[in-house]
Amino acid sequence: MLHVFDFMREMTTLSVVLRMLLAFLCGGVIGLEREYKHRPAGFRTHILICLGAAMTTLTSQYLYLTMQMYTDVARLGAQVIAGIGFIGAGTIVVTRQRRVKGLTTAAGMWTSAIIGLACGAGYVECAIFATLLVMAAEMLLIRLEYRVASGAREMNIYVEYTEADRMTEILQGLRAEKVRITNLEISRRVEGDRRYSAVVSLGNLRGIPAERLLSRLEAMDDVLLVEEM
Amino acid sequence: MADVQELTVWSMMLRLLLAVAAGGLIGLERETKHRAAGFRTYMLVALGATVTMLLAQYLSWMVEGPWLHLAKNVVPTDVSRLGAQVINGVGFLGAGTIIVTHRQEIQGLTTAAGLWASACMGLAIGVGFYTCLITGVVLILLCMVLFSPMENAIHATSRSMNIYVELTGIGDLGALTHGIKAQGCTIYDLELNKSGEGGARRLSAIYTVSLQKKQEHAELLARLSAVDGVVSIEEN
Repeated sequence: MLHVFDFMREMTTLSVVLRMLLAFLCGGVIGLEREYKHRPAGFRTHILICLGAAMTTLTSQYLYLTMQMYTDVARLGAQVIAGIGFIGAGTIVVTRQRRVKGLTTAAGMWTSAIIGLACGAGYVECAIFATLLVMAAEMLLIRLEYRVASGAREMNIYVEYTEADRMTEILQGLRAEKVRITNLEISRRVEGDRRYSAVVSLGNLRGIPAERLLSRLEAMDDVLLVEEM
Repeated sequence: MADVQELTVWSMMLRLLLAVAAGGLIGLERETKHRAAGFRTYMLVALGATVTMLLAQYLSWMVEGPWLHLAKNVVPTDVSRLGAQVINGVGFLGAGTIIVTHRQEIQGLTTAAGLWASACMGLAIGVGFYTCLITGVVLILLCMVLFSPMENAIHATSRSMNIYVELTGIGDLGALTHGIKAQGCTIYDLELNKSGEGGARRLSAIYTVSLQKKQEHAELLARLSAVDGVVSIEEN
Protein backbone atom coordinates (compact mmCIF):
# COMPACT_ATOMS: atom_id res chain seq x y z
CA MET A 1 0.00 0.00 0.00
CA LEU A 2 1.19 3.46 -0.84
CA HIS A 3 1.58 5.36 2.42
CA VAL A 4 0.74 8.64 0.78
CA PHE A 5 -2.86 7.46 0.78
CA ASP A 6 -2.95 6.56 4.47
CA PHE A 7 -5.12 9.56 5.30
CA MET A 8 -7.82 8.11 3.04
CA ARG A 9 -8.13 5.07 5.23
CA GLU A 10 -8.95 6.90 8.46
CA MET A 11 -12.43 7.73 9.63
CA THR A 12 -12.19 11.50 9.43
CA THR A 13 -14.74 13.75 7.76
CA LEU A 14 -12.27 14.78 5.08
CA SER A 15 -11.39 11.18 4.28
CA VAL A 16 -15.06 10.21 3.99
CA VAL A 17 -15.89 13.11 1.68
CA LEU A 18 -12.81 12.48 -0.46
CA ARG A 19 -13.62 8.81 -0.84
CA MET A 20 -17.14 9.57 -1.95
CA LEU A 21 -15.85 12.14 -4.41
CA LEU A 22 -13.43 9.57 -5.76
CA ALA A 23 -16.27 7.09 -6.25
CA PHE A 24 -18.26 9.81 -7.98
CA LEU A 25 -15.31 10.51 -10.28
CA CYS A 26 -14.52 6.88 -11.09
CA GLY A 27 -18.15 6.12 -11.85
CA GLY A 28 -18.43 9.30 -13.86
CA VAL A 29 -15.37 8.56 -15.96
CA ILE A 30 -16.53 5.05 -16.82
CA GLY A 31 -20.09 6.24 -17.37
CA LEU A 32 -19.07 9.11 -19.62
CA GLU A 33 -17.34 6.76 -21.98
CA ARG A 34 -20.41 4.48 -22.00
CA GLU A 35 -22.65 7.46 -22.64
CA TYR A 36 -20.66 8.47 -25.70
CA LYS A 37 -21.10 5.00 -27.11
CA HIS A 38 -24.82 5.40 -26.55
CA ARG A 39 -25.15 2.45 -24.23
CA PRO A 40 -28.28 1.97 -22.12
CA ALA A 41 -26.33 2.20 -18.87
CA GLY A 42 -25.05 5.72 -19.12
CA PHE A 43 -23.36 8.39 -17.17
CA ARG A 44 -25.77 8.73 -14.28
CA THR A 45 -26.36 5.02 -13.80
CA HIS A 46 -22.67 4.33 -13.34
CA ILE A 47 -22.22 7.23 -10.94
CA LEU A 48 -25.18 6.16 -8.80
CA ILE A 49 -23.98 2.58 -8.62
CA CYS A 50 -20.39 3.51 -7.81
CA LEU A 51 -21.55 5.98 -5.15
CA GLY A 52 -23.98 3.55 -3.53
CA ALA A 53 -21.32 0.87 -3.33
CA ALA A 54 -18.87 3.32 -1.73
CA MET A 55 -21.49 4.22 0.86
CA THR A 56 -21.81 0.59 1.88
CA THR A 57 -18.12 0.04 2.56
CA LEU A 58 -17.96 3.40 4.34
CA THR A 59 -20.90 2.39 6.52
CA SER A 60 -19.20 -0.92 7.35
CA GLN A 61 -16.06 0.89 8.42
CA TYR A 62 -18.09 3.34 10.45
CA LEU A 63 -19.76 0.50 12.32
CA TYR A 64 -16.48 -1.27 12.92
CA LEU A 65 -14.17 1.62 13.78
CA THR A 66 -16.27 4.54 15.00
CA MET A 67 -19.09 2.65 16.68
CA GLN A 68 -16.81 -0.20 17.73
CA MET A 69 -19.45 -2.79 17.02
CA TYR A 70 -19.11 -6.49 16.45
CA THR A 71 -19.25 -6.89 12.70
CA ASP A 72 -17.61 -8.36 9.64
CA VAL A 73 -16.47 -5.36 7.69
CA ALA A 74 -16.85 -7.16 4.36
CA ARG A 75 -20.46 -8.23 4.75
CA LEU A 76 -22.25 -5.25 3.28
CA GLY A 77 -19.86 -5.12 0.36
CA ALA A 78 -20.44 -8.77 -0.39
CA GLN A 79 -24.12 -8.19 -1.03
CA VAL A 80 -23.36 -5.30 -3.33
CA ILE A 81 -21.72 -7.76 -5.67
CA ALA A 82 -24.83 -9.95 -5.65
CA GLY A 83 -27.32 -7.09 -5.81
CA ILE A 84 -25.78 -5.38 -8.80
CA GLY A 85 -25.62 -8.77 -10.47
CA PHE A 86 -29.41 -8.83 -10.27
CA ILE A 87 -29.79 -5.36 -11.70
CA GLY A 88 -27.42 -6.31 -14.49
CA ALA A 89 -29.41 -9.44 -15.22
CA GLY A 90 -32.42 -7.23 -15.81
CA THR A 91 -30.71 -5.59 -18.76
CA ILE A 92 -29.81 -8.76 -20.59
CA VAL A 93 -32.12 -9.64 -23.43
CA VAL A 94 -32.17 -12.58 -25.85
CA THR A 95 -33.35 -11.47 -29.28
CA ARG A 96 -35.43 -13.33 -31.84
CA GLN A 97 -32.28 -14.36 -33.63
CA ARG A 98 -31.17 -15.96 -30.37
CA ARG A 99 -28.45 -13.43 -29.80
CA VAL A 100 -27.64 -12.27 -26.32
CA LYS A 101 -27.45 -8.52 -25.95
CA GLY A 102 -26.64 -6.39 -22.97
CA LEU A 103 -23.92 -8.49 -21.41
CA THR A 104 -21.26 -5.83 -21.71
CA THR A 105 -23.60 -3.27 -20.18
CA ALA A 106 -24.27 -5.56 -17.21
CA ALA A 107 -20.60 -6.38 -16.77
CA GLY A 108 -19.69 -2.70 -16.89
CA MET A 109 -22.17 -1.83 -14.16
CA TRP A 110 -20.94 -4.70 -12.04
CA THR A 111 -17.31 -3.66 -12.36
CA SER A 112 -18.26 -0.07 -11.65
CA ALA A 113 -19.92 -1.14 -8.39
CA ILE A 114 -16.88 -3.10 -7.30
CA ILE A 115 -14.59 -0.17 -8.04
CA GLY A 116 -16.97 1.84 -5.86
CA LEU A 117 -16.50 -0.69 -3.06
CA ALA A 118 -12.74 -0.17 -3.29
CA CYS A 119 -13.13 3.62 -3.23
CA GLY A 120 -15.30 3.52 -0.14
CA ALA A 121 -12.97 1.17 1.69
CA GLY A 122 -10.00 3.44 1.06
CA TYR A 123 -8.23 1.10 -1.36
CA VAL A 124 -7.50 4.09 -3.55
CA GLU A 125 -4.59 2.62 -5.52
CA CYS A 126 -6.62 -0.29 -6.80
CA ALA A 127 -9.70 1.80 -7.57
CA ILE A 128 -7.81 4.38 -9.62
CA PHE A 129 -5.73 1.85 -11.51
CA ALA A 130 -8.74 -0.34 -12.27
CA THR A 131 -10.67 2.67 -13.59
CA LEU A 132 -7.75 3.60 -15.83
CA LEU A 133 -7.62 0.05 -17.15
CA VAL A 134 -11.33 0.01 -17.91
CA MET A 135 -10.94 3.26 -19.83
CA ALA A 136 -7.87 2.03 -21.68
CA ALA A 137 -9.60 -1.20 -22.62
CA GLU A 138 -12.64 0.66 -23.95
CA MET A 139 -10.63 3.16 -25.96
CA LEU A 140 -8.45 0.48 -27.53
CA LEU A 141 -11.57 -1.41 -28.47
CA ILE A 142 -12.72 1.50 -30.60
CA ARG A 143 -9.79 0.86 -32.88
CA LEU A 144 -10.39 -2.88 -32.91
CA GLU A 145 -14.11 -2.56 -33.39
CA TYR A 146 -14.05 -1.71 -37.08
CA ARG A 147 -11.44 -4.29 -37.79
CA VAL A 148 -13.55 -6.93 -36.11
CA ALA A 149 -16.67 -5.80 -37.93
CA SER A 150 -15.12 -5.94 -41.38
CA GLY A 151 -13.44 -9.29 -40.77
CA ALA A 152 -16.60 -10.62 -39.24
CA ARG A 153 -17.64 -14.17 -39.40
CA GLU A 154 -21.19 -13.22 -40.20
CA MET A 155 -22.78 -11.07 -42.84
CA ASN A 156 -26.14 -10.20 -44.33
CA ILE A 157 -26.59 -9.73 -48.07
CA TYR A 158 -29.59 -8.13 -49.68
CA VAL A 159 -30.32 -9.29 -53.26
CA GLU A 160 -32.92 -8.22 -55.79
CA TYR A 161 -33.61 -10.41 -58.80
CA THR A 162 -36.32 -10.99 -61.43
CA GLU A 163 -36.50 -14.74 -61.97
CA ALA A 164 -37.50 -17.08 -59.17
CA ASP A 165 -34.99 -19.78 -60.19
CA ARG A 166 -32.16 -17.34 -59.82
CA MET A 167 -32.18 -18.00 -56.07
CA THR A 168 -31.00 -21.58 -56.55
CA GLU A 169 -28.00 -20.34 -58.51
CA ILE A 170 -27.30 -17.70 -55.91
CA LEU A 171 -27.34 -20.29 -53.15
CA GLN A 172 -25.13 -22.63 -55.15
CA GLY A 173 -22.69 -19.83 -55.81
CA LEU A 174 -22.51 -19.00 -52.11
CA ARG A 175 -22.08 -22.60 -51.08
CA ALA A 176 -19.22 -22.97 -53.54
CA GLU A 177 -17.41 -20.32 -51.52
CA LYS A 178 -17.81 -22.58 -48.49
CA VAL A 179 -19.98 -20.14 -46.57
CA ARG A 180 -22.80 -21.32 -44.41
CA ILE A 181 -26.27 -19.97 -45.08
CA THR A 182 -27.86 -19.40 -41.70
CA ASN A 183 -31.06 -17.69 -42.75
CA LEU A 184 -32.96 -16.81 -45.89
CA GLU A 185 -35.98 -14.59 -46.34
CA ILE A 186 -37.57 -13.98 -49.70
CA SER A 187 -40.36 -11.64 -50.56
CA ARG A 188 -42.06 -10.96 -53.85
CA ARG A 189 -43.27 -7.63 -54.98
CA VAL A 190 -47.04 -7.67 -55.22
CA GLU A 191 -47.70 -5.10 -57.89
CA GLY A 192 -45.68 -3.81 -60.79
CA ASP A 193 -43.02 -5.83 -62.59
CA ARG A 194 -42.00 -9.12 -61.10
CA ARG A 195 -39.28 -8.66 -58.57
CA TYR A 196 -37.98 -10.78 -55.76
CA SER A 197 -36.08 -9.46 -52.80
CA ALA A 198 -34.16 -11.67 -50.46
CA VAL A 199 -32.04 -11.30 -47.34
CA VAL A 200 -29.43 -14.00 -47.04
CA SER A 201 -27.66 -14.38 -43.70
CA LEU A 202 -24.24 -15.92 -44.02
CA GLY A 203 -21.93 -17.44 -41.51
CA ASN A 204 -18.48 -18.95 -41.46
CA LEU A 205 -16.94 -16.17 -43.49
CA ARG A 206 -13.48 -16.41 -42.06
CA GLY A 207 -10.86 -15.58 -44.66
CA ILE A 208 -13.32 -14.87 -47.43
CA PRO A 209 -13.41 -11.23 -48.51
CA ALA A 210 -16.90 -9.83 -48.75
CA GLU A 211 -16.19 -8.21 -52.11
CA ARG A 212 -15.62 -11.57 -53.73
CA LEU A 213 -19.03 -12.81 -52.69
CA LEU A 214 -20.75 -9.62 -53.74
CA SER A 215 -19.11 -9.41 -57.14
CA ARG A 216 -19.86 -13.06 -57.81
CA LEU A 217 -23.53 -12.44 -57.20
CA GLU A 218 -23.57 -9.20 -59.16
CA ALA A 219 -22.18 -11.00 -62.18
CA MET A 220 -25.19 -13.31 -62.37
CA ASP A 221 -27.97 -12.70 -64.88
CA ASP A 222 -31.24 -11.23 -63.68
CA VAL A 223 -29.69 -9.96 -60.50
CA LEU A 224 -30.63 -6.32 -60.13
CA LEU A 225 -29.06 -5.27 -56.88
CA VAL A 226 -26.66 -6.68 -54.33
CA GLU A 227 -26.05 -4.86 -51.10
CA GLU A 228 -24.05 -5.75 -48.03
CA MET A 229 -25.83 -5.03 -44.78
CA MET B 1 -23.50 15.47 19.05
CA ALA B 2 -22.87 12.38 21.15
CA ASP B 3 -26.59 12.07 21.64
CA VAL B 4 -27.34 11.63 17.99
CA GLN B 5 -24.50 9.15 17.60
CA GLU B 6 -25.98 6.82 20.17
CA LEU B 7 -29.17 4.98 19.66
CA THR B 8 -31.66 6.84 21.78
CA VAL B 9 -35.32 7.34 21.03
CA TRP B 10 -34.57 10.84 19.81
CA SER B 11 -31.76 9.87 17.53
CA MET B 12 -33.90 7.05 16.15
CA MET B 13 -36.67 9.50 15.31
CA LEU B 14 -34.20 11.97 13.84
CA ARG B 15 -32.70 9.35 11.59
CA LEU B 16 -36.08 8.17 10.35
CA LEU B 17 -37.07 11.73 9.56
CA LEU B 18 -33.79 12.29 7.74
CA ALA B 19 -34.40 9.14 5.71
CA VAL B 20 -37.81 10.39 4.65
CA ALA B 21 -36.38 13.79 3.78
CA ALA B 22 -33.38 12.48 1.87
CA GLY B 23 -35.35 9.83 0.01
CA GLY B 24 -38.01 12.37 -0.81
CA LEU B 25 -35.52 14.89 -2.15
CA ILE B 26 -34.01 12.35 -4.51
CA GLY B 27 -37.43 11.05 -5.50
CA LEU B 28 -38.66 14.56 -6.28
CA GLU B 29 -36.43 14.78 -9.31
CA ARG B 30 -37.65 11.43 -10.59
CA GLU B 31 -41.26 12.42 -10.02
CA THR B 32 -40.96 15.43 -12.29
CA LYS B 33 -39.99 13.08 -15.08
CA HIS B 34 -43.00 10.84 -14.43
CA ARG B 35 -40.95 7.77 -13.81
CA ALA B 36 -42.45 4.59 -12.44
CA ALA B 37 -40.56 4.96 -9.21
CA GLY B 38 -41.46 8.37 -7.89
CA PHE B 39 -41.27 10.37 -4.75
CA ARG B 40 -42.86 7.80 -2.44
CA THR B 41 -40.90 4.82 -3.74
CA TYR B 42 -37.58 6.47 -3.00
CA MET B 43 -38.82 7.54 0.39
CA LEU B 44 -40.00 4.05 1.24
CA VAL B 45 -36.76 2.42 0.16
CA ALA B 46 -34.62 4.85 2.15
CA LEU B 47 -36.90 4.46 5.15
CA GLY B 48 -36.80 0.68 4.95
CA ALA B 49 -33.04 0.62 4.82
CA THR B 50 -32.80 2.98 7.80
CA VAL B 51 -35.19 0.89 9.88
CA THR B 52 -33.13 -2.17 9.00
CA MET B 53 -29.94 -0.68 10.37
CA LEU B 54 -31.72 0.72 13.42
CA LEU B 55 -33.08 -2.75 14.04
CA ALA B 56 -29.65 -4.29 13.59
CA GLN B 57 -28.15 -1.94 16.14
CA TYR B 58 -31.03 -2.61 18.51
CA LEU B 59 -30.47 -6.36 18.23
CA SER B 60 -26.73 -5.99 18.81
CA TRP B 61 -27.42 -3.90 21.88
CA MET B 62 -29.93 -6.38 23.24
CA VAL B 63 -27.74 -9.42 22.64
CA GLU B 64 -24.82 -7.81 24.45
CA GLY B 65 -27.01 -6.34 27.16
CA PRO B 66 -30.35 -7.53 28.52
CA TRP B 67 -30.31 -10.87 26.74
CA LEU B 68 -26.75 -11.79 27.64
CA HIS B 69 -27.68 -13.67 30.77
CA LEU B 70 -30.96 -15.03 29.45
CA ALA B 71 -29.61 -17.06 26.57
CA LYS B 72 -28.15 -20.51 26.96
CA ASN B 73 -25.83 -20.15 23.96
CA VAL B 74 -24.52 -16.63 23.61
CA VAL B 75 -24.09 -15.99 19.93
CA PRO B 76 -22.89 -12.53 19.01
CA THR B 77 -24.81 -11.07 16.13
CA ASP B 78 -23.19 -9.29 13.25
CA VAL B 79 -24.72 -5.87 12.93
CA SER B 80 -24.19 -5.84 9.15
CA ARG B 81 -26.18 -8.95 8.46
CA LEU B 82 -29.60 -7.40 8.02
CA GLY B 83 -28.23 -4.43 6.11
CA ALA B 84 -26.43 -6.67 3.67
CA GLN B 85 -29.68 -8.24 2.55
CA VAL B 86 -31.18 -4.83 1.97
CA ILE B 87 -28.62 -4.30 -0.76
CA ASN B 88 -29.48 -7.64 -2.29
CA GLY B 89 -33.19 -7.13 -2.03
CA VAL B 90 -33.30 -3.69 -3.57
CA GLY B 91 -31.18 -5.10 -6.38
CA PHE B 92 -34.04 -7.51 -7.02
CA LEU B 93 -36.56 -4.69 -6.95
CA GLY B 94 -34.45 -2.69 -9.34
CA ALA B 95 -34.14 -5.58 -11.74
CA GLY B 96 -37.90 -5.77 -11.81
CA THR B 97 -38.27 -2.18 -12.94
CA ILE B 98 -36.07 -2.64 -15.97
CA ILE B 99 -38.06 -2.98 -19.14
CA VAL B 100 -36.86 -4.06 -22.54
CA THR B 101 -39.25 -2.67 -25.12
CA HIS B 102 -40.17 -4.43 -28.34
CA ARG B 103 -37.66 -2.13 -30.02
CA GLN B 104 -34.98 -3.65 -27.81
CA GLU B 105 -34.58 -0.41 -25.96
CA ILE B 106 -33.68 -0.75 -22.29
CA GLN B 107 -35.57 1.56 -19.97
CA GLY B 108 -35.47 2.06 -16.26
CA LEU B 109 -31.79 1.54 -15.56
CA THR B 110 -31.23 4.96 -14.01
CA THR B 111 -34.31 4.45 -11.87
CA ALA B 112 -33.05 1.09 -10.64
CA ALA B 113 -29.62 2.51 -9.88
CA GLY B 114 -31.17 5.47 -8.10
CA LEU B 115 -33.37 3.27 -5.92
CA TRP B 116 -30.37 1.19 -5.03
CA ALA B 117 -28.26 4.23 -4.16
CA SER B 118 -31.17 5.50 -2.06
CA ALA B 119 -31.18 2.22 -0.12
CA CYS B 120 -27.42 2.38 0.46
CA MET B 121 -27.86 5.91 1.73
CA GLY B 122 -30.59 4.69 4.06
CA LEU B 123 -28.12 2.24 5.57
CA ALA B 124 -25.75 5.10 6.34
CA ILE B 125 -28.55 7.14 7.91
CA GLY B 126 -29.59 4.21 10.05
CA VAL B 127 -26.21 3.93 11.71
CA GLY B 128 -25.95 7.66 12.24
CA PHE B 129 -23.24 8.27 9.66
CA TYR B 130 -24.30 11.85 9.02
CA THR B 131 -21.21 12.87 7.07
CA CYS B 132 -21.85 10.16 4.53
CA LEU B 133 -25.53 11.09 4.39
CA ILE B 134 -24.95 14.75 3.62
CA THR B 135 -22.24 14.09 1.05
CA GLY B 136 -24.37 11.33 -0.44
CA VAL B 137 -27.48 13.46 -0.84
CA VAL B 138 -25.50 16.30 -2.37
CA LEU B 139 -23.69 14.05 -4.86
CA ILE B 140 -26.79 12.05 -5.80
CA LEU B 141 -28.82 15.21 -6.39
CA LEU B 142 -25.95 16.67 -8.39
CA CYS B 143 -25.92 13.57 -10.51
CA MET B 144 -29.66 13.32 -11.06
CA VAL B 145 -30.41 16.98 -11.61
CA LEU B 146 -27.36 18.54 -13.18
CA PHE B 147 -26.19 15.71 -15.32
CA SER B 148 -29.49 14.98 -16.97
CA PRO B 149 -29.22 17.78 -19.55
CA MET B 150 -25.60 16.78 -20.05
CA GLU B 151 -26.68 13.25 -20.91
CA ASN B 152 -29.19 14.56 -23.43
CA ALA B 153 -26.57 16.76 -25.04
CA ILE B 154 -24.17 13.85 -25.45
CA HIS B 155 -26.90 11.69 -26.90
CA ALA B 156 -27.94 14.22 -29.51
CA THR B 157 -24.56 14.36 -31.22
CA SER B 158 -22.79 11.15 -30.30
CA ARG B 159 -21.03 9.12 -32.95
CA SER B 160 -22.97 5.94 -32.19
CA MET B 161 -26.62 5.50 -32.96
CA ASN B 162 -29.30 2.87 -32.94
CA ILE B 163 -31.95 3.37 -35.60
CA TYR B 164 -35.29 1.62 -35.39
CA VAL B 165 -37.13 1.49 -38.74
CA GLU B 166 -40.40 0.04 -39.82
CA LEU B 167 -40.60 -0.86 -43.49
CA THR B 168 -43.35 -2.08 -45.78
CA GLY B 169 -41.37 -5.10 -46.86
CA ILE B 170 -38.04 -6.72 -47.46
CA GLY B 171 -37.91 -5.09 -50.84
CA ASP B 172 -37.23 -1.72 -49.28
CA LEU B 173 -34.23 -2.84 -47.29
CA GLY B 174 -31.85 -2.31 -50.17
CA ALA B 175 -32.75 1.32 -50.71
CA LEU B 176 -32.64 2.04 -47.01
CA THR B 177 -29.29 0.34 -46.45
CA HIS B 178 -27.91 2.27 -49.38
CA GLY B 179 -29.37 5.48 -48.00
CA ILE B 180 -27.81 4.91 -44.60
CA LYS B 181 -24.41 4.30 -46.11
CA ALA B 182 -24.82 7.39 -48.27
CA GLN B 183 -25.25 9.48 -45.14
CA GLY B 184 -21.77 8.49 -44.09
CA CYS B 185 -22.66 5.77 -41.61
CA THR B 186 -20.92 2.50 -41.01
CA ILE B 187 -23.34 -0.28 -40.24
CA TYR B 188 -22.09 -2.42 -37.39
CA ASP B 189 -25.12 -4.53 -36.85
CA LEU B 190 -28.53 -5.19 -38.28
CA GLU B 191 -31.41 -7.04 -36.77
CA LEU B 192 -34.63 -7.84 -38.59
CA ASN B 193 -37.95 -8.67 -37.02
CA LYS B 194 -41.33 -9.42 -38.40
CA SER B 195 -44.37 -8.38 -36.49
CA GLY B 196 -48.09 -8.48 -36.95
CA GLU B 197 -50.09 -10.97 -39.00
CA GLY B 198 -51.87 -11.05 -42.32
CA GLY B 199 -52.28 -7.75 -44.03
CA ALA B 200 -50.68 -5.78 -41.24
CA ARG B 201 -47.32 -7.53 -41.45
CA ARG B 202 -44.54 -5.15 -40.80
CA LEU B 203 -40.88 -5.62 -41.14
CA SER B 204 -38.83 -3.84 -38.50
CA ALA B 205 -35.09 -3.43 -38.52
CA ILE B 206 -32.66 -2.15 -35.93
CA TYR B 207 -29.45 -0.73 -37.34
CA THR B 208 -26.46 -0.13 -35.11
CA VAL B 209 -24.45 2.50 -36.88
CA SER B 210 -21.43 4.63 -36.36
CA LEU B 211 -21.32 8.11 -37.84
CA GLN B 212 -18.21 9.16 -39.71
CA LYS B 213 -18.65 12.78 -38.85
CA LYS B 214 -20.52 14.51 -36.10
CA GLN B 215 -24.05 15.37 -37.07
CA GLU B 216 -27.38 15.97 -35.42
CA HIS B 217 -29.23 12.70 -35.08
CA ALA B 218 -32.58 14.30 -35.71
CA GLU B 219 -31.44 15.66 -39.08
CA LEU B 220 -30.07 12.31 -40.11
CA LEU B 221 -33.36 10.63 -39.30
CA ALA B 222 -35.27 13.28 -41.20
CA ARG B 223 -33.22 12.66 -44.31
CA LEU B 224 -33.60 8.90 -44.05
CA SER B 225 -37.36 9.13 -43.63
CA ALA B 226 -37.54 10.26 -47.26
CA VAL B 227 -36.42 6.83 -48.46
CA ASP B 228 -39.13 4.77 -50.13
CA GLY B 229 -40.81 2.15 -48.03
CA VAL B 230 -39.98 3.66 -44.69
CA VAL B 231 -43.13 3.65 -42.59
CA SER B 232 -41.56 4.99 -39.42
CA ILE B 233 -38.07 5.74 -38.29
CA GLU B 234 -36.79 6.65 -34.87
CA GLU B 235 -33.78 6.49 -32.68
CA ASN B 236 -33.50 3.83 -30.05
